[in-house]
Amino acid sequence: MNENPYQPLNSEIVDIIDESPTIKSFVVVPEEKIKFETGQFVELTLPGEGEAPFTPSSSSTETEKMEITIMKVGRVTDLLHQCKKGQKVGIRGPYGNGYPIDDFVGKEVYIVGGGVGLAPIRSLFLTLVDRISDFKSVVCRFGARTPDDFIYKKTLFGSWQKIDGVDIKLTVDEANGSWDGNVGVVTTILAPDDVKIKNAVAVVCGPPVMMKFTTLKLLEFGFGTENIYLSMEKNMSCGIGKCGHCMLGKYYVCKDGPVFTYDMVKDIPKIWD
Amino acid sequence: METVFISKLKPFLDAVAERLDLYVPKKSGQHYIYGRYDPSAEMLVEFNNIRTCAPIKEFLFPIQELAAIFPEAVEPEEVKPFAIFGLKDCDLRSIEILDKVFADEEFRDPFYVARRENMFIISSDCSDPGESCFCNLLDGRPFAESGFDLNVSRVRDGFIIEAGSDKGRDFIKKHSQLFVDVPEALLAERDKNRARTQKQLEQNNAELKLDAPIKEIVQNCQDSDVFDAEAERCVECQACTMVCPTCHCFYLYDTVQKDYFAKMKMWDSCMRLSYAAVAGGADPYRVPSDRIKHRLMHKFVYFLDRYGIDMCVGCGRCVDADVSRLDIRMVLKKLSEEFKGKGKKKAKVAK
Repeated sequence: MNENPYQPLNSEIVDIIDESPTIKSFVVVPEEKIKFETGQFVELTLPGEGEAPFTPSSSSTETEKMEITIMKVGRVTDLLHQCKKGQKVGIRGPYGNGYPIDDFVGKEVYIVGGGVGLAPIRSLFLTLVDRISDFKSVVCRFGARTPDDFIYKKTLFGSWQKIDGVDIKLTVDEANGSWDGNVGVVTTILAPDDVKIKNAVAVVCGPPVMMKFTTLKLLEFGFGTENIYLSMEKNMSCGIGKCGHCMLGKYYVCKDGPVFTYDMVKDIPKIWD
Repeated sequence: METVFISKLKPFLDAVAERLDLYVPKKSGQHYIYGRYDPSAEMLVEFNNIRTCAPIKEFLFPIQELAAIFPEAVEPEEVKPFAIFGLKDCDLRSIEILDKVFADEEFRDPFYVARRENMFIISSDCSDPGESCFCNLLDGRPFAESGFDLNVSRVRDGFIIEAGSDKGRDFIKKHSQLFVDVPEALLAERDKNRARTQKQLEQNNAELKLDAPIKEIVQNCQDSDVFDAEAERCVECQACTMVCPTCHCFYLYDTVQKDYFAKMKMWDSCMRLSYAAVAGGADPYRVPSDRIKHRLMHKFVYFLDRYGIDMCVGCGRCVDADVSRLDIRMVLKKLSEEFKGKGKKKAKVAK
């Protein structure tokens, strides 16, 4: 019997963090260590109920436990939100390609994220910060619907902003309460001089419409198509390039992605649908 | 002894069935379906003139199967060696395609591989191509030259049996008392039969001949109205993908059993609404024409780019099965004509 790629690794939810009204982070401890590259994804099984793909939000240097940030958006995620600490789950993976961090060395890393798209970005951010001196700078532009909808509030509004070499700006679609920052979609806080484009790479993750307009903006700034990294969301199911659900043109997002340069996908119709 | 002669099928099939579960084609209405061979039955085994109605993938990749058990992983049941008689060249090529997907080095599907390794393939020559057969447009032939353990060709007074693998050669050696040498004249007859069937197939499909490689046609006609027009007759029955011997999309789902949880694997179809939808609502193939286009692109462009072969063998099962008479041959023909038109237009502009 060959190794069964459909068999999940037994794991347990050991902690649950409320991030926003619709988003929770689950701290999961797998039976065996899982090593992943930031940007890769795993399939999380709620036994008997279903399975869904998520990119871990914890640093790739952490292998004992994994954090997975999940928005309540469908049947499985809804059930996951009802889970309590101690819940047994299954993990398959990691699958696909992560961010090519070594190619980012010596460059400015320009990260644009929106909503729950901050989950993979957190993993990337923590991994970059771990070796921050390798990069010229890490420039972040994050958006959320309202201030309450930001995830990782404590670190996002606090410690992350104080890291040397990191520059973070935030915006919300709709302000409320004490918000005194920018109001507007994330593209309203992107400026051509945020980074020196010649020596920068851009990483974009968020809802499809946000990714689309951010990409267009970055192209307008003069970013090369090969320097824009997108984290594509498709219906990844088997994770091993067989079941067909996540096909994006000729690619299997689960195997050839989920991280793609814009250059790889720009000629494929309906990439944002 | 690679090629031998036997006058009757029964002793040969009985010998196969001694050690293997043997499946043979049985007539059902106008079509053939596979059934278990019963050596004690009096009924003669059909020498099927064309491929069966159901696709061969059923034997390797069942409609539904257990993929994993939670929380305790269990070894799947051992696969009993089995044999299939009457597979055609198109069937063998469909297995080659499925092998690319499920037996690849990077991620092997252990369930597929276990069945594949235990499968004894006895192919046979086509003698009378069906109306929907169009394998010749996809480099196929009405007879197999590789990919089988044994191949059977019907000739006057009996059958020529040829070995195509070590397993096949071993079988012939072991049962040498059943066979005699093939008279030269019968080999010549086999070649003549094959040429005749090939010619008939070409005549049947003469009008379908395309003017350019299918990949080029499909890739360059993605914006064609043909997809919208064809989609109007599609009733989304998904039969085309179910009977297709090369379509292999599947769906993983979880179930609660009495004392364990099971992850199941079941055939799925890219022609199904919300096949590619994500929980957030995005769905690139919301309308049927986009699904038809994706299916053709997958078969003739993406798969070819990735694995070096088309994901269609021209068996025509989808043509027979589709209740709305959506005919892949006609879609390709229409696209081909449009492609030809495009070329002319370009040439004009260039002048």
